[in-house]
Amino acid sequence: MFGSSSRDPSSAVLCGSGALSHVYIQHPPLRCNIPETHGLFYDDGNKLLLSPTSDQVLSWKTAQCDQYDPPNSDSISEGPVLSIRYSLDKKVICIQRSNQEIQFKNKETGKSFSWRCKSGSESILGFFWTDCPSCDIIFIKTSGIESLLYDAELNTLRLVEAKRFNVSWYVYTHESRMVLLASGMQCTTFYGFQFSSGGIIRLPKFEMTMVRTEANQKPVLAVEDVHIATIYGRIYCLQHDRAGMILNLYRFYRDAVVHQGTLPTYSNRIAVSVVDNVLLVHQVDSKVVIIYDLFLDSLAPVSAPLPLLLRGASVNGKQAAQVGDNIAMSYGAMIYADKWSFLVPDLICDLDHGLLWKIYLDLEAIAASSSDIPYLLEFLQRRKSDTSKSKLLCLAIMRSIILERRPVSIISSAIDVLVAAYSHVVKAGSALHGGDRRASETFPDSSTQQTENPGSLFVDSVGGTKNNKNFVKQESSSRAESKSQQPACTNVKNEHFNDAAVSAAPGVPAGSVSSSDADTDLESRNHSTQHPEMSLSGDSSAKETRTLMQPGRGAETPVVKGEESSIHAEAFENRISSIESGISSNQGAQLSTAAISPDEMYNFVFAIVEDEMGGDPAYLVAIIVEFLRSVFKEKMKVHPKLYVMTIQLLVRSNRYAEVGLLVINKVLEPSKEVALQLLDSGRQNLQLRKLGMDMLRQLSLHHDYVNLLLQYGYYLEALRYARRNKVITVSPSLFLEAALATNDSQQLAAVVRFFSDFTPGFKSTAEHSRFLGILTEMS
Amino acid sequence: MYFLGDYTERSMGLSSANIANEGIQFCIFDSRRGQHEGQELDKILFFYPSECPYSSQLSVIGLCEGIITFTRIFSPEAACEVIEAERHSHVFYEAEPDIWMIMVVEKSKYAESVWRSEALRGVLKEIHSLFVMFHGSLKTLIDKQPSGEFARTHLYYFFTDYLTDFTIGKKIQLPSFRECLKERGTVQMLTISRDMAIEIQSLVTVLGSPSGANTIYNSLILFQDLLVSTTLSPDDTANLFAYCVMRLSPHALSSSLSVNSWSYIRKSKSASNVSTVSAVCAALDGSHGTSHDASPGEQPRTVNVPRPLQRDKWSKGGDGFLVTDVWGVEVGTSLPRTPTLWLQQTHERTYLCVYQYKNLTIVLLIPVSSLINGEQGIALVKNQLLENVSQKIVNIEEKLSRGWGGENAYHVSGYRYLLLDGDRNISRASPPAKVTTLSKDSLLALNKLREEVDLEKKRTMLDNPEHEKDFEACIRAKNNAWVIAKISRGRELYMALEKASETLMFASDAVEKFSNRYCEGAFSLD
Repeated sequence: MFGSSSRDPSSAVLCGSGALSHVYIQHPPLRCNIPETHGLFYDDGNKLLLSPTSDQVLSWKTAQCDQYDPPNSDSISEGPVLSIRYSLDKKVICIQRSNQEIQFKNKETGKSFSWRCKSGSESILGFFWTDCPSCDIIFIKTSGIESLLYDAELNTLRLVEAKRFNVSWYVYTHESRMVLLASGMQCTTFYGFQFSSGGIIRLPKFEMTMVRTEANQKPVLAVEDVHIATIYGRIYCLQHDRAGMILNLYRFYRDAVVHQGTLPTYSNRIAVSVVDNVLLVHQVDSKVVIIYDLFLDSLAPVSAPLPLLLRGASVNGKQAAQVGDNIAMSYGAMIYADKWSFLVPDLICDLDHGLLWKIYLDLEAIAASSSDIPYLLEFLQRRKSDTSKSKLLCLAIMRSIILERRPVSIISSAIDVLVAAYSHVVKAGSALHGGDRRASETFPDSSTQQTENPGSLFVDSVGGTKNNKNFVKQESSSRAESKSQQPACTNVKNEHFNDAAVSAAPGVPAGSVSSSDADTDLESRNHSTQHPEMSLSGDSSAKETRTLMQPGRGAETPVVKGEESSIHAEAFENRISSIESGISSNQGAQLSTAAISPDEMYNFVFAIVEDEMGGDPAYLVAIIVEFLRSVFKEKMKVHPKLYVMTIQLLVRSNRYAEVGLLVINKVLEPSKEVALQLLDSGRQNLQLRKLGMDMLRQLSLHHDYVNLLLQYGYYLEALRYARRNKVITVSPSLFLEAALATNDSQQLAAVVRFFSDFTPGFKSTAEHSRFLGILTEMS
Repeated sequence: MYFLGDYTERSMGLSSANIANEGIQFCIFDSRRGQHEGQELDKILFFYPSECPYSSQLSVIGLCEGIITFTRIFSPEAACEVIEAERHSHVFYEAEPDIWMIMVVEKSKYAESVWRSEALRGVLKEIHSLFVMFHGSLKTLIDKQPSGEFARTHLYYFFTDYLTDFTIGKKIQLPSFRECLKERGTVQMLTISRDMAIEIQSLVTVLGSPSGANTIYNSLILFQDLLVSTTLSPDDTANLFAYCVMRLSPHALSSSLSVNSWSYIRKSKSASNVSTVSAVCAALDGSHGTSHDASPGEQPRTVNVPRPLQRDKWSKGGDGFLVTDVWGVEVGTSLPRTPTLWLQQTHERTYLCVYQYKNLTIVLLIPVSSLINGEQGIALVKNQLLENVSQKIVNIEEKLSRGWGGENAYHVSGYRYLLLDGDRNISRASPPAKVTTLSKDSLLALNKLREEVDLEKKRTMLDNPEHEKDFEACIRAKNNAWVIAKISRGRELYMALEKASETLMFASDAVEKFSNRYCEGAFSLD
């Protein structure tokens, strides 16, 4: 689709790697295959890959996949290891030794102790550390769930709370802070808890459904068929129904679990990854992966199922792959091997070989295979992992669709997408700023406090609605949040941006989700009459996110700066060649975002395509008009150069009337650049010239105005204007020469007199005597 | 150049007895024609009233031609413009080289017989430019058929239809001094916000570049009787705008029977109007034929002359496009033929397609040369328009209606003003209802002042056409009102301030304030 734009040097980025795939793993992997280790464990709370030996545990950080870093090690006592996790401050190592026993070891003191459950009646299914304020660690047992506090000084555990019910198995991800406990004959009854820093949220008990194949056979749901996925800060659960060949999608709200739909599966075994908020469903048996972007609750796949690709070393991709070592070559055949374990969110661990792979999206390939341009741009704008690439792709796509002369309506909606995305980033950025400041001044620690504060004002005003106060509060605070988008942003994560974007993104049916939620949500149903659209949904999940995501990851979130765009614009004045370096050089300091500022649109799209399509100004004008419309709608500014270009293009096809209207209606914002262009273009058209003059005057560029009046021979008018506006920078001789040119001694005398009277010291200048001389000659 | 005094009148043998009852005469003649004795009638392209005997017609033309020839001796570039006699005014307009339009007004026949000759000339100019827009220049019509019959028929119908707009009761009503805060031939614009402007420009660009066509279509967009957008040159815009307001706007469509678009006096009933018209027509028909070797009472031979100014001929079709059968029907069908007109700037012939949604009128001009298959092609363009932009149009109409300030939107309290931008043919004025509150004295004074300014402007034009002169006058009228005229860089401001205080300072302050507030300081340069 982008073939025709081959002259555009940046279009090379669109070619992708050549192989047909949208998702790839990158060679080299992280190698954890050290002899004498017994198995690999993933501690998702700390993002560590752990491998115990007989007397110590080795740990690799999965966050930075640097293969040459030797693993850290901590000594542990001998014994079987069923599971192992570090505490979130990494001071305590916790090892499940058996179904009955869990051992704790304090790294600092070296002391350890063991905790046992009642033998016989119950057994331990697992445990995890939590950053919930009321407890430190959660045990899941066949008889229920227990939350406990760990006392470092005494090196003991204290039970906080225990909840009793039968548990067959459980699923937990630290990312979601959510644990799902399966019970019942078919293991389809679920209890859900979220242990977040905001406290414990208990979800209503819910059932998952499974298709019955034969009359009397009831399938049992297995632990590997249930996946928790965190996407755009929302928490989903995916349940694979093997018999039905479908994947049920549930979304968790604060007080409800809503079935969102089903995705088809083509494999008996599936795995789920989330890369950059894109859901990947690995069809393990058929060795393909299908990708979904659930942002708009659309369950349509982003593209057709394609295999997972193993790629050689990064930068100079192909060469390295050819040179690449044998493992890479031979490993290709082992894609989706049996011993692959899919770790949350985007890792694959090959247990046999002790390799850890990270999954990447091939944005170029996705871009190249997508034909719905506005949708594709939205998709790219939402990607956070490789923003400079998304940005380059978006720019390249814009250029090529313009050069291909796609219908204006399509380009218009593509532009709307980019402008809305940028506007959203700017708004979120400035909100973030404001939020930060407030936080440091008044609310030092907690964001909940903060969101409730503006909310509580609202509570007063809504107070008349005699309902559950709690709910009103929640509702109003979240409303305030979505409205102004500022109070909640102190601890904003990327996910939060995205979530809030639901309300900002164009064409998003904001009400659709909410209404369905309101149905399932008992609380809101009671008084849903007032603001049904306000109940939960995006808002509540934003709240969840906030409480969920607070700890730990806050530091990862850099700050969006409002000035970013101008820095961009100044740094890379021109041409594509500089785009790449420009954008990447920008990344370190600030939150990278794929959003494209109006200035960048001018520099990297319009300025470039104008050169290439000089022959068709009408089309380009139509597009610029659509761009301006979109930008104005978001109340943003445009660089005067774009206005100048608009004038040039219109004048090229003699559309003077339109230039006039655009100037008069201030569509082309007054600026010196625009005024000068009008004067320049006005050489053939008196009206434009006058508009340019008027603009100079309105901008109070008195010096230029007076000079131009002189230039056009209006020296008396220029004199009057200069006197009125105290312009003294224009030399008297210019006025005198202009008067002399008329050959009218009266006029000349008047001008000489003017300067003699009003300009101190003029009488003693050489000019004065010279023109006096001329005057006497004339008379 | 002016001629004053009744000397002229008597010496040229013009007597009031010769003038028809209505006290007004129009004539158009081509001074190149009928050069030989006995063929003088051939000069006459149009004469109103047509029942006027040839001898009188010829004497009017003889007088005018004589004066023109005489004044050309002194002023070859600009010959006579007006003859002011005691009882008559002769207003001259050289519409095309050697083709003159003359309006003769009998002062005693009008109760308020004070007018500006420039305003009367404006009427002549308007008729001519509208005529040229629809039929092409008179010269080309004459060239096409040297006998002049073709041109005469066209002129006859056109003039007759045009005059119906000026007929109140049984009289032709001329623009008098009461209309000194109006300017014929200019466009009134709707002020819109920046956001609205870009939306409209977006609509214009879509209208202008339909898919598959490589020509640009021009368009004109009106909201009620106000212009919102144009892609045409100022002159073309003014002509088409005038036509829209006269015949196409929702207002014109709904009330074309009863209301004169420009008149303050909206009392006349449709019935009387129509009957007058037909009476006039009949009268014209009768004598028109006689002048050229045909027996009296015979209908003009060419009956299928399009009559674009004929009243009540436009109506709104089911698809939102306005239709008329004025241009006849397609051969072999009963479908009305799409009207065409000529653009002055590009000399291009275009189809006239008018789409109307509520208060929004969209005029789309499709170059005839761009469509090979005529009506079929137009139907296609119309379909495309409906498909692509009807939603946009609905949105824009809705927003404009919401923001519309009503008839008095441009009223500035305390001021009665007229703002003119001659370069762009744009004017804005106090609403008519507010102007009527001015006393007769103020209006007369302002009329007089405008007359003076007109003269001054003419003089500057002759001295140095390139150089625009600034001009300012503040006059205390008999009734203590201030009448003010100010010209600056081609823009003109006329004002009457009745409740102003004594001092000139106050008056000039008032102008200054107005200028800064409503004209972006265009009149406060010094």
